[in-house]
Amino acid sequence: MSQTDDGDAVDLAEGIDHQVAMVMDLNKCIGCQTCTIACKTNWTDGGGREYMYWNNVETKPGSGYPRDWEEMGGGWDDDGEQRTPGDLPDDEAYGAPWDFNHEQIMYEGSDEPLRPMSDAASWGPNWDEDEGAGEYPNSYYFYLPRICNHCTHPSCVEACPRSALYKRSEDGIVLVDQDRCRGYRYCVEGCPYKKVYYNAMKKTSEKCIFCYPRIEGEGPDGEVRPPSCAADCPPQLRLVGYLDDEDGPIHKLVNEYEVAVRLHPEYRTEPNVYYIPPFAPPQHSESGESLNADRIPRTYLEELFGPKVNEALNTIERERDRVRQGEDSEVMDLLTTKDTAEQYRLEVFDD
Amino acid sequence: MTNRDLAVLAVLVTVVLATAGLAPAFADARPAYEIPVQYEADAEPLEGAGDEAWTDVPAATIPLSSAGANVPAADDTTVERATVAAVRTDDRLYLRLTWADPSRNASTDRIRAFADAVAVQLPANASSRPPIAMGSTDNRVNVWYWTADGRTEELLAGGAGTTTAFEDPAVEANATYEDGRWQVAFTRPLDAPTANRTTIPTDQDVDVAIAAWNGGNMERSGQKAASEWYYLALGPGPSGPPYELILWTIAGLGIVATTLVTIIGVRQTRGR
Repeated sequence: MSQTDDGDAVDLAEGIDHQVAMVMDLNKCIGCQTCTIACKTNWTDGGGREYMYWNNVETKPGSGYPRDWEEMGGGWDDDGEQRTPGDLPDDEAYGAPWDFNHEQIMYEGSDEPLRPMSDAASWGPNWDEDEGAGEYPNSYYFYLPRICNHCTHPSCVEACPRSALYKRSEDGIVLVDQDRCRGYRYCVEGCPYKKVYYNAMKKTSEKCIFCYPRIEGEGPDGEVRPPSCAADCPPQLRLVGYLDDEDGPIHKLVNEYEVAVRLHPEYRTEPNVYYIPPFAPPQHSESGESLNADRIPRTYLEELFGPKVNEALNTIERERDRVRQGEDSEVMDLLTTKDTAEQYRLEVFDD
Repeated sequence: MTNRDLAVLAVLVTVVLATAGLAPAFADARPAYEIPVQYEADAEPLEGAGDEAWTDVPAATIPLSSAGANVPAADDTTVERATVAAVRTDDRLYLRLTWADPSRNASTDRIRAFADAVAVQLPANASSRPPIAMGSTDNRVNVWYWTADGRTEELLAGGAGTTTAFEDPAVEANATYEDGRWQVAFTRPLDAPTANRTTIPTDQDVDVAIAAWNGGNMERSGQKAASEWYYLALGPGPSGPPYELILWTIAGLGIVATTLVTIIGVRQTRGR
C-alpha cells in the first residue's frame, strides 16, 4: 500500500505490490469497435471463444452484452462481506449463432435468398446499438467500452471453490489458472459484470488478461506495450498505468481530482477500470433552442456510476470553464494529452 | 413325560429351529455400512454397466444427502440414493453404481449445461479413514469420477477444492442410461499404479463413499448428493449370512435346551 501526497493510502488488494488500472474517457468513444476487434484477433478468434468478447462496446442505455447483464446479480452485499450469488447467462444472451436456411437452398432447391430462419434473428451482440433512450429531439445514448475490471475485491476469485482464479501479486491482474479450472462456472455467475466466459470446447472459463504479455514486453519486438484495446483505439480514449503510480494520470484523475469513476460501484468489487462520465449537448426545445437541462439524465448516470458521478461531472464542468477562460487546467491537460508516454505509464515500477 | 408333553416339546423344537433357519432371511443380514464384494475368477461378463451378470451380484443401497459444501445452492440436490455392487477378481475391482435420474444430461456444450456425474471416493491409504469431505492434506483420498459427457478421471484430493487429476488414469468406466436410471461401471487394477493411489487389499475392508450430481439441476462441484463412509467388504472378516446362520442355530438350540430343562424340572418338582 502506498501513500498519496495528503497521506491517504491508495487502496490495493492485500498482497498486491501494484495495481494495473485503466481510465476510459467516454466522451471520446465513437463506438467503432476497433478495441473489440483488436482484442478478438489477439485472444478470442477460435477454439470455443468465438462468442466471447473480452472487450466489448455497448450502447447505453441498452441491454448490453450479455443481454441484461446488470440484472443477473453477482458481486457483494452492501457491507462487501457476503457474496450475492448471480445467474448464469444462457447462450442466447451472448448472441448465439443464428440458424440460416442453408439446408433449403443447398439441398432442397429453394430459390429464397440466404437468410436467417424466421425466428433465429432475435438477438445478437449490439442488437440494440444506437437505440438509446429519450424522445426526439432529446434522445440520447453513449458508448460504454467494457473489459474485465481486474477488481480489488473480485467476487469471481471468491466464487471459485478451487481457487483457480487469482490476482497476480505483481500487478493485480485477475487470471484464471487453466490447469486448476474445472469448468464449474461459479466465476461466470459470480462476476456482476459478466466478464468471465465459459469455453465449452476446453471446459474451462476464460477472461481478459489485460494483455499481460504485452505489458511485460513479451511481444516479438520485446517492447512494453499497452493492452491491444488501448493501443488500437482510434480516438485514444484509454489511459493505462498503475493506480498506485502517484505521478501518473490515473492516480490524479481517480484519487486526486475524482473525475474518473467506477461502473456500478454498488457491486462492491472495487473495479480498477474507471470512466470519465459522458457529457452530451443540453436538451433542445421543439424549435431547436438549447435549454438549461441535461440531455443524459443525471439519475441515469447515477444508476451506472453511483452518486460520485455528480461531483465528477461538476468538476469537469468547472475545469472546462477554466480552459475557456484561458486558465490552466491539469485535469483537461491529462484528458487531452497526445503524449503516449504519459498516457501509457507501464514501466514506472520496473526495477 | 406324557405323550402330550412330547408333542408340545416337538412343536416347540420345530418352531425354534425354523426361526433359527429363516430369521436371517427376513432380517437384513448385512452389517450397516457394508458393501458386499463378490469374488469372481472371471469378470468379463461384468465389464459393461448394463451387463446381465450384475443382477446376480449382491448390492447395497446407500442413502445420499447434500454434502453441505461452501458453494451456492449446496443444499439443492436431487439424487436420494444409489445402489452399489462390487466384484473383485484376482487383480481387478469392479464397481457398479446405479441411481435414478429422470433426465439424462450428457452435455457441457452450452453455458448453462452441466452433465450428470458420479464419483467413488477411497482413502489414498487403504488402512486410514480420511475426513469424508474430500479428505485432508495429511490424509488424502482418491476419487474415481465419471461424467456423462464422456470423461472418466482418477483424482487425488486433500480437502475440498484440491482435486487434481492423475495424468495416467488407471480407472476405466462405462455407462448406460435406461428407464430413468444411470448405470455406471468402474474398474481399476487392485494394485496401485503409482504413489498416492489406493492399493485395494484382498484381506481387509476398505472405506468407500460415493456422490452423484444431477446435471439437469445444474449440480456440480460441492453441490452434490454424497454418502457417508461405507466399506467394501474385502476382508475375510465375520460377515454375511453363513456366520449369522450358525449364530442363530446355536442360539435356537440353546433356547430349546433351556426350555426342556425347565419343563423337566417343573414336572419333576410337581411329581414329588
